[in-house]
Amino acid sequence: MAYLSRRSVLRGSVALGASRVLAFPHVAKAAATTASMWFAQGFVQDEDVSLRKAVADYEKASGNKIELSIIPFAPERQKIISALTSGVVPDILDSNPGEILQIYAWQDRWVDVSDVVETQKAQFSETALQAAQAYNNVTKKSSFYGVPLRAAVVPCHIWRPLVEKAGFKIEDIPKTWDAYFDFFKKVQDNLRKQGERKVYGLGFQVTANGVDPYNLFMAFLVAHGGQNVVTKDGKLHLDDPKVKQAAIKAAGYLGGAYRDGYVPPSAINWNDADDNNAFHAKLMVMDVDGTLSTEVAVKAKHPEWYYNDMVSHGIGYPNDNAGKPVPSIVGLTNGLIPKGAKNVAVAREFLKYFIQPKVIGEFVELGLGRWLPVMPSLAKSSFWQDPKDPHLRGYVQQGLLGPTIPDYYVYNLAMAEVRSQHVWSMPMIEVAREGAKPEVAVEKAFKRIEEIFAKYKRA
Amino acid sequence: MDRASVADVARPAIRWRTLSRSLRGGLKGGEYAWAVAFVVPYVAVFLAFVAYPVVYGLWMGSEASLYRELFADPIYQSTVVNTVLYLALGVNVKMFLALLLSGFFMRPGWWMKALLLIFVLPWAVPQISTFISIHWMLNGEWGFLNNVLYTLFHVEGPHWLNDRWMALGAVIVSHIWKWTPFWTLILLAGRMAIPLEIRDTAKVDGATGVRGFVYITFPLLANLYLICTLLSTIFLLGDFNAVNFVSGGGPANTTHVLATLGIRNAFEIAQPRLGVAAVMSALPLVIPLVIVLMRKLRTAEVQL
Repeated sequence: MAYLSRRSVLRGSVALGASRVLAFPHVAKAAATTASMWFAQGFVQDEDVSLRKAVADYEKASGNKIELSIIPFAPERQKIISALTSGVVPDILDSNPGEILQIYAWQDRWVDVSDVVETQKAQFSETALQAAQAYNNVTKKSSFYGVPLRAAVVPCHIWRPLVEKAGFKIEDIPKTWDAYFDFFKKVQDNLRKQGERKVYGLGFQVTANGVDPYNLFMAFLVAHGGQNVVTKDGKLHLDDPKVKQAAIKAAGYLGGAYRDGYVPPSAINWNDADDNNAFHAKLMVMDVDGTLSTEVAVKAKHPEWYYNDMVSHGIGYPNDNAGKPVPSIVGLTNGLIPKGAKNVAVAREFLKYFIQPKVIGEFVELGLGRWLPVMPSLAKSSFWQDPKDPHLRGYVQQGLLGPTIPDYYVYNLAMAEVRSQHVWSMPMIEVAREGAKPEVAVEKAFKRIEEIFAKYKRA
Repeated sequence: MDRASVADVARPAIRWRTLSRSLRGGLKGGEYAWAVAFVVPYVAVFLAFVAYPVVYGLWMGSEASLYRELFADPIYQSTVVNTVLYLALGVNVKMFLALLLSGFFMRPGWWMKALLLIFVLPWAVPQISTFISIHWMLNGEWGFLNNVLYTLFHVEGPHWLNDRWMALGAVIVSHIWKWTPFWTLILLAGRMAIPLEIRDTAKVDGATGVRGFVYITFPLLANLYLICTLLSTIFLLGDFNAVNFVSGGGPANTTHVLATLGIRNAFEIAQPRLGVAAVMSALPLVIPLVIVLMRKLRTAEVQL
């Protein structure tokens, strides 16, 4: 029988340590060709399958290894922020949320990827190129810190059977902004006359959770002439009467629709997917919601909904009240390499591979088209122009071929905080619940926005 | 060299040997080395998982500018009010109910044991799924509660989670429902520890019913009750789940408590330091609570 002694324990420890040292060159060699990658889980499984395929194809072509972690949307946000705070980071990650590119570029936390973007620069849309750049408050310069991968805009989603049940046709829907949304109030009124107790005309996210209320408010702000709220030079223009008037109209219309009973009461507490679920439950006739997630989520289980009953207004996206097209605000997903990443070389190489038009085009198409491509040439593919598909042509027209602008935090990081603090939600909610005057509610929001902008003064 | 100077030279060495011996606790040679080897893992775990997170948290929330920004946030003030209400009502109503129910469950009979088994179920089931269920039950349009009201009485129920006070009330009631069984069991164990002789003697002296509770049971349980209340307050200060899953901090961020505001600031606004500052702002309340708790634990050892 062997007895443990102090010497034997020490001898064992030394032997174990030596074996690790001897094994190390093998591990180091593997690490040189391995990069870790985090990416947000898709709304439908096809999105994850398409990402895995792109990664597998790269591994086959390069001989390198990508350790891919697909993480649900909300936990990934927390994981990214925790990683950047602790300094233990992956080699590649997606910009989840989109503004994280600008937030951490300000703190000089991303690797400059201008060389990666350069390989396909001529292919990218102007909006995608703008959104991939950010201001670095340490170097005092802007540069490419993101690699555009995919995009999304906010289409309108409509239940055709409910419109028809109310005695209308989809073709009856007006083409100008206020008239367009007023139409759904008439639909609700008619449905109520027929005894539909719990169907609402408008699915406005009059809430202070998630990303939807900001997208909704900004769509109304732009449609009412407030496009210059922040200009490309990063300057805030709350003193512009057109911007102020647009904000008042947006808050008044959105909050007023809720106050008048045209929005489901629970909308005041909705978070991320709640409006999708409410729409699927036919709680409302129409929803204004980002991406085609509403449609692709039901494509496999309810193809009749996808092909017949659901109408997504990309092509039919309303003009402003004067009849001019309203630019859509595009949210971009960018590939990022954090500073402190162990294998920047493989990360760069993978991103260069990933943004080749054929690869990135296939990636968004295999994901059922929930996300848009970032290269206009890809919009011409048979997938996006399929005449049998009722949604894709309109979506790609609205978000890639039609007039678009990047989100405003691209111009000034302060708008990222305005978005995450839900500053724009408050005037909507105050009008909706407390019957506040839109002018007063907007004035309060403006004050808060000015406070936030004061924190992000560029040199 | 004279005798005095020899003693002076030798004194530091003697002192060191004495100190070393007292540190070794009487252990010699190999015994001491093994003792150190066994203690080192515990010290390492303590440093890594207790000391380091606390110090790191203190460091993250140490800048005064963070607190200026926090106090300027319009949501923070309502969050402090919510936290105080959540603590005051959540802890006291729950503990008082637990005190009464622990007396009820002292009654003899097999059916009482069966009832106790059913009673502890809310505590035994996973909390996140139950809080999500409550959130859905309270949905104004298609929630279970309003559907029952409409089906049975043709009454349109209120939108429970659309009003700040109703939503906060729903959070507090959910917490009480979830945790009352646990504290009832603790106080039941406390009651069972009271020696039968004391109760029998009191009965002989006429202290039965309410009098028995006021003069015998409660004085003997008082320390335990206070310790449980303090512990529950500390637990509740860090509670995230009830608020996050029942009201989600809504409507319009009006039902946040410090724990949920900290998470919101850290991960939704992407300002981890501001999130830590939100939680740290509870320290002026937590530290006195912990001190009182420690003092009470000392006295509790001899009383019950």
